[in-house]
Amino acid sequence: MTLLALEHVGKRYVDGPHERPLLNDVSLDLAPGELAAVWGLRRSGRSTLLRVAAGIERPDTGVVRFDGRDLVDHGEDVLGEGIGYVQKALRGAEAQSVLEEVMVCLLARGISRAAAHARACTALERTGSAQCAALAPRQLDKAESVRVALARTLVLSPRVLVVDEPVNGVDLHERDGILLLLRSLADEGVAVLASTGQSTGLSGADRALALSDGELRGSPSQQLAPVLALRRSA
Amino acid sequence: MQSPVSWALLGLVIERPSYAYELAQRFDRTYEGALSLSSTSHVYTALGTLTSRGLIEEVAGSRTGRQPKPRYRATAKGLEDYREWLVRQLAEDRRRQRLFVLQLAALTRDPEAALATLDRYEKACLQEAGGTPLNGANGVPADEASGLAARLLCEESRLAMGAKLEWTQYARAQLKSLASARALGR
Repeated sequence: MTLLALEHVGKRYVDGPHERPLLNDVSLDLAPGELAAVWGLRRSGRSTLLRVAAGIERPDTGVVRFDGRDLVDHGEDVLGEGIGYVQKALRGAEAQSVLEEVMVCLLARGISRAAAHARACTALERTGSAQCAALAPRQLDKAESVRVALARTLVLSPRVLVVDEPVNGVDLHERDGILLLLRSLADEGVAVLASTGQSTGLSGADRALALSDGELRGSPSQQLAPVLALRRSA
Repeated sequence: MQSPVSWALLGLVIERPSYAYELAQRFDRTYEGALSLSSTSHVYTALGTLTSRGLIEEVAGSRTGRQPKPRYRATAKGLEDYREWLVRQLAEDRRRQRLFVLQLAALTRDPEAALATLDRYEKACLQEAGGTPLNGANGVPADEASGLAARLLCEESRLAMGAKLEWTQYARAQLKSLASARALGR
């Protein structure tokens, strides 16, 4: 079953008179419980691909669907509970504490403070960052900030998690812990799409993909997924 | 000494002095999927070679009991030669990769065919990169010295695959340029 689908997506980068194709007829589908990782060099368009997949940017051509619904029409409805987008680092974190930062989107949805507190604590626990709860966001190191950013998104229980560069700048000893966390979230049924500038960030993915010249290479469809799933469980 | 089996066996003896039968079992466990013995007697032949070259020796007093069987340990020369051999492997890896690139270059008469081959090569690299287990995942202990070889192997595989992936980007750009130039020249 496909949860997130990109169908023949095209996107161009325009800067005044200059134009550059970023995504060229890109198709990709993602099922619940699947982890797909996209590798690319700098300026390959991998962050654009993720923003388009999350419904944050509109494609110039083609369609992005979540659970069959076109994100152009329903993007705002599904962002958060349907699709959770984790941008590079913990940008825009202005709360006094990490716990507040994770709670804030729940409070904005009218959830009571007590319930938001409980859910935020659970999300921080789940991402291995409970010990950071009382810290200010600016006190976090890179790996902690990635874990907290994941908690801030997971608190809404999204079905699809789109994560931009989760291991970029993360200490070598912390890197695999974060990749294992993404793997475990996929194993729990979340569909995970992650990008990486380092090929080491592809490890553990059901499907490793490469983006260059606007083309997505590898196995963007699910044809190999059952084989990989069997191999993983062996 | 050219035989990779002999060098691999020497590595096991360096790691821990053992009997021949025990070495055969450790060999299968350690090098599964990378190197194999033609038969258990292969171990005895290789141990003979290593002994005659002074790379290993019998542990004194190990031929005791009703069924005496010698236990082997590495000599100082064995340890030194093993270290040198490991470093020489870098040149061997380099030679293999060089051969692959030269063979791919044979397809440049038809850049489109070379690009198609490159796509398949990249796909294989991606599958390998995704399939490499993570440190801390099942079978790859995140701590303890016993997991060191597995951790080093994982990281080496991942970094090597990264270099290959970056190379495919460069090679593709070069082949596309060649294809364009040929198209214009027609």
